[in-house]
Amino acid sequence: MHVLRLLSVFLKVNVQMSLAYRADTVINLLLNLMWLGWELLSLSIIFNNTATLGGWGPGELIALLGVFRLINTLMAALIWPNTERFNASVRDGSLDYVLLQPVPSLFQVSFARITVWRVWDLGLAVILIVAGVSQSGQTATPLNTVNFLILAGSGAVVIYSLWVVLIALTFWFTKFDNNVTILQALLDTGRYPATVYPAWLRLIITFVVPIALATTVPLQALRGELTAAQVALFVAVAGASLLVALQVWKYGVRRYNGASS
Amino acid sequence: MTQDPVILVDQLSKTYQVSEREGGFAAAVRGFFKRQYRDVPAVQQVSFRIAPGEVVGFLGPNGAGKTTTLKMLSGLLHPTAGRAQVLGYTPWQLKPAYLSVMTLVMGQRNRLSWDIPAADSFLLNQAIYRLSDADYQRTLAELDELLDLGPIMRKPVRNLSLGERMKCELAAGLLHRPQVLFLDEPTIGLDITAQARIRAFLQEYNRRTGATILLTSHYMADVTALCERVIIIHQGQLKYDGGLSELSRRIAPFKLIGVALGEAVHMDLSGYGTLVAGEDEADKHFIQVPAADVTAVTARLLADLPIHDITIADPPIEAVIERAFNA
Repeated sequence: MHVLRLLSVFLKVNVQMSLAYRADTVINLLLNLMWLGWELLSLSIIFNNTATLGGWGPGELIALLGVFRLINTLMAALIWPNTERFNASVRDGSLDYVLLQPVPSLFQVSFARITVWRVWDLGLAVILIVAGVSQSGQTATPLNTVNFLILAGSGAVVIYSLWVVLIALTFWFTKFDNNVTILQALLDTGRYPATVYPAWLRLIITFVVPIALATTVPLQALRGELTAAQVALFVAVAGASLLVALQVWKYGVRRYNGASS
Repeated sequence: MTQDPVILVDQLSKTYQVSEREGGFAAAVRGFFKRQYRDVPAVQQVSFRIAPGEVVGFLGPNGAGKTTTLKMLSGLLHPTAGRAQVLGYTPWQLKPAYLSVMTLVMGQRNRLSWDIPAADSFLLNQAIYRLSDADYQRTLAELDELLDLGPIMRKPVRNLSLGERMKCELAAGLLHRPQVLFLDEPTIGLDITAQARIRAFLQEYNRRTGATILLTSHYMADVTALCERVIIIHQGQLKYDGGLSELSRRIAPFKLIGVALGEAVHMDLSGYGTLVAGEDEADKHFIQVPAADVTAVTARLLADLPIHDITIADPPIEAVIERAFNA
């Protein structure tokens, strides 16, 4: 309960902060719509020339785009702003205060900043997923839908863990402002189903930096392509990566000396 | 001191590993591939204990190890060796129960968000420290009364003056009514009036709540106003721990008389006291005189010399400490 209370206070503070910058909010909304149009256009160009992409039809790709945007929204609403804040707090030493509050430091580092207007994006992503699934003629069975939700959740956990490790590297390297740029670059590979990529790249984005886990895999579950054992495996991978990330964070904090006074 | 100490420090040491290289381009390239590290002992086997409700000044020149010690006591740093207990907790375990009863306020760091008024950040603190509405309102009202926060806590923090911001920072650090306060240069950069307000506040806060305070400052006035006891460290080692009055007796109290003489008068002033190197004021000579003789020497100077300007000041805290331990 305390966690929810804290989240709601964080959210409130962030609404207050973003209300201070009206123009920024409006421009961001417009930009977002433009990007969506661009992505749909590029999909239609592809399907004007071919009926399937890596075995996936237009409806399925629209749904994938929805999942991709869901993850992207997570990035833009939480990961980017909190990374920026984290990097700044390491530089100016205000991370000291975060560490000395009786709330797990990683929780504060992860959720202190929330880009509020991204709520629209969230809605948009859900609409894309629903529209895509219905257009592809697939009737998502309840079981497939539950699997989809579970895997989308564990996909998000995997990306989050990766992020935690990347920002924790700052504790060792001090100056590492590009930490999350890498993540974004890899995430962009999730725009298309992992099956379109050559095998070596598919291996990398599934197991080494498991972006596909967060995008392609949940959709495969929705299409009913995954066995129960596979679903369990992916959930276990998510759990393991979170544990590793928490350990790395703990060691990082121990290492942290604070910006010199 | 029969009471159990609130702060117990036993043989505490901290050694930093610092990368270093020689100046120059070639050295920079070499350093990129092969770092050289050197151990720098920041704090060496420091021991002291502080009783409940005490206000202790923690002094020493820049780089003496004050901030490092405060960071270890608040839990930010793990010591290299030694032991410390604050209110029965080992600080660097960062137990939430410990973090809820102590505070660290650093004069040069900000905890408040720039874009929103401090009052909104206070609400965040209320949630973080799980304060009930009643407790929160009561403490805030009390802090408002002592610090006069009323109008300033409703302005965005970025629009506040340094002094106003420090008041809000202090309030933010004290909303959860900590029993132990670690204050690192709480008055740094403030003008004299603002310094005096912060000082009066801390004094009153200590009187009302019985909180234990360990503070560092570069301003002797902070220390003389607030602390009966001082701990001095120099180059990481504890040099003095005792009463403030005893310290000045031990050092032989002295004052600095600064005199500006008429155009380019070169006179030998050494007959009046010890000449010391002045600050960066041209044409001003500084004479170090025992406190008891200040009146007499000043009268003689005024009678003997064509004086344009004369000032009498306490020596800077660094000079006091240097004198105490290099003598």
